This record gives sequence, C-alpha cells and structure tokens, in this order.
Amino acid sequence: MPGWSRWALLVAVVLAFGGLYFRIFAAPPPGGFALPQAATRAAASTRPLYRQQLLPNSAERSVHSATAAEISGGRLRAFWYGGSREGAADVSIYTSVYSSVEGSWSPERAVVTRESAQRHLQRYLRKLGNPVVGRDRNGRLWLFFVSVTVGGWAGSAINLMVSEDEGETWSEPRRLIASPFFNISTLVRGPLLQFVDGTIGLPVYHEMLGKFGELLRLDAEGHAIRKTRLSWGRSSLQPVIVPRSDTEAVGFMRYAGDPPNRVLMIRTSDGGATWTAPVKTPLPNPNAAVGGVLLANGPLLLALNNAEENREGLSLASSTDFGNTWRIAHEFEGDSSSPQPPMREYSYPWIMQDEAGDVHVLYTWGRTRIKHVHFNRTWLEGRR
Amino acid sequence: MSAVFGLFGCGLLTLAAVATGLRLQRFPVSARIAVMLVAALAVFAPFGDLSAAAYVRGVTGDLSVTTLVLAGAACVSGLTGRTAIGPRDLRGLFWLVVSAAAFLYPFALGWTRFDPYALGYGSIEFVTAMLLITLAAWHFRQNVVVLIVIAAALAYLAGAYESRNLWDYLIDPMASLYAIVCLLAAALDRARSAEA
Repeated sequence: MPGWSRWALLVAVVLAFGGLYFRIFAAPPPGGFALPQAATRAAASTRPLYRQQLLPNSAERSVHSATAAEISGGRLRAFWYGGSREGAADVSIYTSVYSSVEGSWSPERAVVTRESAQRHLQRYLRKLGNPVVGRDRNGRLWLFFVSVTVGGWAGSAINLMVSEDEGETWSEPRRLIASPFFNISTLVRGPLLQFVDGTIGLPVYHEMLGKFGELLRLDAEGHAIRKTRLSWGRSSLQPVIVPRSDTEAVGFMRYAGDPPNRVLMIRTSDGGATWTAPVKTPLPNPNAAVGGVLLANGPLLLALNNAEENREGLSLASSTDFGNTWRIAHEFEGDSSSPQPPMREYSYPWIMQDEAGDVHVLYTWGRTRIKHVHFNRTWLEGRR
Repeated sequence: MSAVFGLFGCGLLTLAAVATGLRLQRFPVSARIAVMLVAALAVFAPFGDLSAAAYVRGVTGDLSVTTLVLAGAACVSGLTGRTAIGPRDLRGLFWLVVSAAAFLYPFALGWTRFDPYALGYGSIEFVTAMLLITLAAWHFRQNVVVLIVIAAALAYLAGAYESRNLWDYLIDPMASLYAIVCLLAAALDRARSAEA
C-alpha cells in the first residue's frame, strides 16, 4: 500500500470512530419507568362485577397465548395464535374486540399469517408463535409476535407491527434483532413497559441451551437500542415486569429448574438498569407462564397455576406489600363444578387493568379456546 | 432498505459457496462468468414470494461485513483465479474474528450475568477497545481488518441493517466458524509439514 493511502486509511479510521463516539455521546441517558395512568374513566358499576366467557374461535383446533390492550371507547383488543396444533405451519395470529358495554367479543379475524409475514419480512418462516400487544406513549399499538425459521421454539425471533388506528390496520412486520447468534432464540410473552424517555421496554427470554430473561429497550421505530439481562443460567423464562415508581419494579418469571418449583422474583431500584438475582417466591410454578399487574392504589395481582406439577387450575394471588407476602384471592379454574374443556389445561394468563379500573384476565382454556374473565374492584375487595 | 442490503449479503454468500464448491478457477474465464451469472439469477430471482437469498436470510439473518468481505473475496477469486486477500491479512483477520467470537458467543448464551452483546448498543469502553485494536491493526499493516472495521462502523452509523448493535455489523457465527476451520486447517498443515 502506498504511503498516502496508508495515511488516508488512518484518517478514515478517525472519522469512523468519531462517528461512533458522537453516536454514544449524543444519545440521551435512559429514563426511568413511566407508570400506567390511574383510572381515568368512570367505573361502569360500583356493584360487584365478575363476568367470564370464551372468546370466539370458529376455525382453529388449537389456540394459545392470549394478549390484550385497551383501545378507544373502553374496549379491549385481544390477540392469540391458533392453528391445527401448536407449531403447525397453518398457525396465524388472530384478533377480536371486546365491548365492555355489550359484554361480548367480536368475531375473530386473522391479522398475521405465516405467508404474509414471510413475504413482508423477506425471509422463509416455518411457524408463528406468541403475540404480545402494547401501546407506546404516542398511542400507537405495537404487536410483537414470535416466528421460527428452523427448529423448535429455541429458534425463535421476534417481529413487530404497529397500528395507528387501534388495530384495524397494521404496518408491515419487521424483524427485531436481539441476539448475536443468527438472531435466534428470543421470544416474547410479558407485557410492554413504557419509559419516561419515550422508549419501550420489552421483556424477552431466550431458550437455546440457556433459559434466561432480558429487558430490551426499543426506540420509536422499534429498534432494540439497549439490553439488560434479568437472569442467567438455564431455569428462568417469560419475565413479567411490574413497575410501581420511576425507579422501582418487581419482575416474575416462570421457573424451569430443579424442585421446589416456584415462581421466580427479581427487583430493580434504578429504573431497570440493574436487577437483583432471581429468588424463589412461596408461590408454586409448574414450569408455566404467569401474568402480573399492579392495580392503581391497590394490590399487586398475579395470575398463575397454583400447583408445582400441572396446569389444571388457575388462580389469582394478591399482595399488598409489593410481592413480599401473598394470599390466594380466587380460583378462576380448578373447581370441577364449572364447565371443563376436554383437555384440562389452563395456562398463559394475561392480566391487565383498564382505564375504568376493571381487571381483565385472558388465558388459554383447554388449548381449544381463550377465556376472558372481567371483574371490578368492588368484586375483588369482596374476596378479602 | 435493510431488506435489500440483507438479501444482497445472503445472495453474495450463496454465490461464494457456488464459486468455492465448483472450484471455478478450473474453468475458462467465459465459463466462470456464465456460471456466476446463472447462479446470481437463481439466487436473486423470486420463486413465488421469496428468492433463494430470502431462504438463506431466514436461517442466517443479515450477514456481518466480515462475512461479506470473505464472500466477496471468494467470488473474486473464483472469477479471476487470483487470491483477493493475502494469507497474512487473512491470518490476522481470522485470529481477530476467533478472539471476538470467543468473547461474545459463550456469554450470549446466558451463562453469566455479563452480556458482551449489550456493549454493542453503544458503550464507550467497547468502542475504545475497538479503536485500540484497529489502530494496532493499522500499525501492523493488517489493512483488511482496518477496512472491515471502517466499513462496519459506517454501515452501523447509517443503519444499513435492522440491527442497531455494532456487533452484528462486525462478526457473525458464519465468519467465526469459517475462521476457526481455516485456522485449524492451517495448524494441521503446519503439523504435517513439520512431520515430513
């Protein structure tokens, strides 16, 4: 290489690294958690409300992994995946809308099929999996869903679509990059978080060789721009994070290790920058997902399978001291007097509070339907 | 736009596999060009919704600049019959890639709380370490390494791929595996030569 080009190379190095340093110094410091707004809509009733129903499923033999967000008019929009079986090529992501006034769900429709996703992503996809929906600070709905090209769920990657009209229409899906290993083995299950700096927090987990949780921070375009490890090793997955101030949050994770099988808990006191090591709570966990929410001015609720070995019951646990102590407030399933599905499995609960203060729980009901339970604060307070 | 770059990279990798697998240098120049043109058509032309490059991209994801440079060098070598990157440059590049991979991938599997992949989202320490390595490479005239780092940094700053992590622009498992295999093969050759 001639002398001048050698020095030109050095100048190029200086310019390139100048750009890298500028990018780092120009980035705003990460903000703390932005809490969900307290009840802004008047409650429909002060009398106890407890309503349960199955969501429509006109076509699919197998459904799983429900998620939901409140949309305009006090409605809920739910998503789940359904097909001939879990992991089949015909699995699509479905949606339906719940009107709390009418108390009913609209007929379901597919929003993502494997074929449409692979066409837009310009990648071959073998199957679709868990969806997670949430809202950003600009009011847009973000729908994440898992896809796999090769192998089982350990080969998953996450995709993102955005809607500006409450889920009627969606942007083309795009791929989220969250792993250096062919970008595989990253899945979603827990609800989104908002940060005061406008970024979105997405709890994710990995399943290839290890099983551990991470928290991604996404910019306004949905690119992962920061990542924090929530746990490590081979036994924790599907994190659900519940903030209670801009700095403090508690997280819960499914446990896949040696007995005793318990729900795992982590905490942060610096806005999610660092997390404590996972500890076992007194709550049992049969290697199954949990759902958590902190009610406005109220207890911390956890929807979970209250058993170490099976998913044959689904319960509501309540904590008034932010996760230090728990009591079982209710059993959604497990009472043999209620109608039973052919396959007695109740799993993957999603729990959320709407702007009127009511609580909604959606979960997989016997793998054939998604069930919705809607109750209000008055009913919950009567469970003490 | 990132899909175009990503598909181009995966297509280039496929063409490099064709050039290397067929050992194109054995054929006359016109035949080499014809084979690569046909292969390019087969790789980039869509069959139904997807091209062959899209199937490769489904498995590999977007490829790092290191893989693109190595794939491009293999294509040039197949077409011209001449080595595009000298053995000294290759050896330096391979050692660096293997070292980076040994630092990155085991921890990416979640063995500890430490996550080097997170450094790639914008860490002063990481960028400073990269700068020192790049300056050392420039000092020792490892120009391919320097060019790759510059190209990766520029692609990262331009947001050429879906990733906003600098690691994804620098290395990937394909380049890492290839570097390990080449270094092992070279070591084996040296051992055989010493015995002879």
